[in-house]
Amino acid sequence: MIIKVISIIVLPLIALIIGFFFLGLSRKVIARIHRRYGPPISQPLIDVIKLINQESISHGKLFDMGVILSLAGSVILVLFIPFGGIAPLATSGDLLVIIYLMLLAPLGVALSGGEAANPNVSIGISRKMMLALGYEVPFLFSLLAVMTWYKTTSLVEVVKAQQSFLWAIFYLPLPAVAYFMILPAMLGIRPFDIVSAPQEIASGTAVEYGGRYLALTTIQHAFHIFIDIALFVNLFLGGGNLLTFFVKMLVVFLLGLFINAVFPRLRIDQAIKYCWKWPAILALVGLIIARII
Amino acid sequence: MDRGSIKKWLKAPGKMGQKYSFWVVYFCTGCGIIEIPPTITSRWDAERFGVIPVATPRQANLFLITGYVSVKTLRAIIRTYEQMPDPKYTVGFGSCPINGGMYWDSYNTIKHLDKYIPVDGWIAGCMPRPESIFIAVTHLWTMIDKGMATGYIKYREKYKNYRKNQEEALGKLEWPPLYPVGDKNE
Repeated sequence: MIIKVISIIVLPLIALIIGFFFLGLSRKVIARIHRRYGPPISQPLIDVIKLINQESISHGKLFDMGVILSLAGSVILVLFIPFGGIAPLATSGDLLVIIYLMLLAPLGVALSGGEAANPNVSIGISRKMMLALGYEVPFLFSLLAVMTWYKTTSLVEVVKAQQSFLWAIFYLPLPAVAYFMILPAMLGIRPFDIVSAPQEIASGTAVEYGGRYLALTTIQHAFHIFIDIALFVNLFLGGGNLLTFFVKMLVVFLLGLFINAVFPRLRIDQAIKYCWKWPAILALVGLIIARII
Repeated sequence: MDRGSIKKWLKAPGKMGQKYSFWVVYFCTGCGIIEIPPTITSRWDAERFGVIPVATPRQANLFLITGYVSVKTLRAIIRTYEQMPDPKYTVGFGSCPINGGMYWDSYNTIKHLDKYIPVDGWIAGCMPRPESIFIAVTHLWTMIDKGMATGYIKYREKYKNYRKNQEEALGKLEWPPLYPVGDKNE
C-alpha cells in the first residue's frame, strides 16, 4: 500500500523530468540539425519559471478550469502507463481506460479556448479535433492488433508477455510502423503542427494563454510527450527496467525528432488524408494478420 | 552570463527567468524587421540567448520596435503593448523610433516613441546589425539585474500622461484605459 502511494507521487515527477528533458533536447537537437548552437537543455524549465512569475490574464472560469482539466487528464494517464515496472493504477482493462483518458487533454483545451472567444483559437480547436479524429483510427487499430495478439486488455500483461520472449515489434511490425507514423501527429510536432501553427493562426489554441496558463500548458505538453512515447515502448518495444526503458524512449523520440527537424508543415486535409490512408491501412492489415495467425 | 549559477536561481528565480527567456512579439513596424529573420535563424541564432519570436502578445515579454513608427502603426503598437503580461520590456530598434531618423520632417511619422509607450533601451543605427540585438539583450540583462528596466512600472504610474500624449497623436482612442485615469471619472 505504502509503495503504491509513493509510486503515485513519484511517477508523475519522473514523467515531468523526462518530459522536460525531451523538450529541451528537442530544441537543442533541432538547433544542431539547423547548424546553430541552440539553447541550453534547461531552457524549457527557464521558460516555465519565467511564465509562472508573469502576470496571468484570465478570460473566465471555464478558461481556468479547461487548462486544469487537460493537465489533470495527463497526470492521471501517466499513472496508468507502466514505467520500468512501476504501474500504480494498473488494472485488468487499462488499455481501454487509456483510450478514453487520451481524449481529456484536447477536450480541456477546447473548453478553455471556447471561453477565450478568439477566432484563431476556434480554428486551432477545430484543427485539433480533426487531427485527433485522423490519428485515432490507426491508433485504435494498432492497439486492437496488440490486444488481439496477446489476448488481453491489460498493458502490464502485454509488457510481461514481451519480456518473457520476443518484443511485439517482431510479431506485429505493421501496427508498430503505423503507430510510429502517427507519433508526430499525436505529439503535435512538425509535419503535423497544424494545431499550433504560429505563422498561420498565431499559435492556435495557445493564443490567449499567457503567464501561468502557458506554464501549465507546457507542463501538460511535457506529460503528453512522456505518455505517447512510453505507450509505444510498452506496446511494441517490451518495456524494460528503469534505465533500458528510458534508453528506448530516447531512441524513439530522437527518430521522431529527426522527421520533425527536416519536414515542412502539412495542411489539415493532407494530414487527415495521410492518417486515414497509409497508417490506417498498415494497422488494419496488421490487425487482420494478428487475428488470423 | 550567469545562467548556470544555481545560487542566483534559488535567490531570485523570477528575475533570472525574466532575464534568460525573452520572448519577442513578432511585430513588424518598419524596414527594421528585415534584420530579425537572420537574427533568429541559423546564422546568428538568437535562441542560444533564450530569445525566440512568438506570434501573440499574450506570450511575449520583449517588444522590439523595428524601424519607423507611423501614426497608424502607433495605434497597433499601443494595443499590442497593453496586451502583454506584466514584466515586459521595450527596445527601440534603429534611429527612427529615437528621433524620427531620416523621417525627421515627415508629417505622419512619430518622432519620439517614448512619449507614447515607455522604452527601456535604444539600439542606434540605420540599420543596426544583428549583433547589436545581442548587445542590447546583454545590456537588458544588466538593467534587469540592477532593477533599472522598469518601463512597465513607469507606464502604470504615469499612465495618465501617456494616455494624454496618445490621445494628442491619435485623436480619440477606441479602447478603454488600461489603468484607472483619475481625472476622467471626476
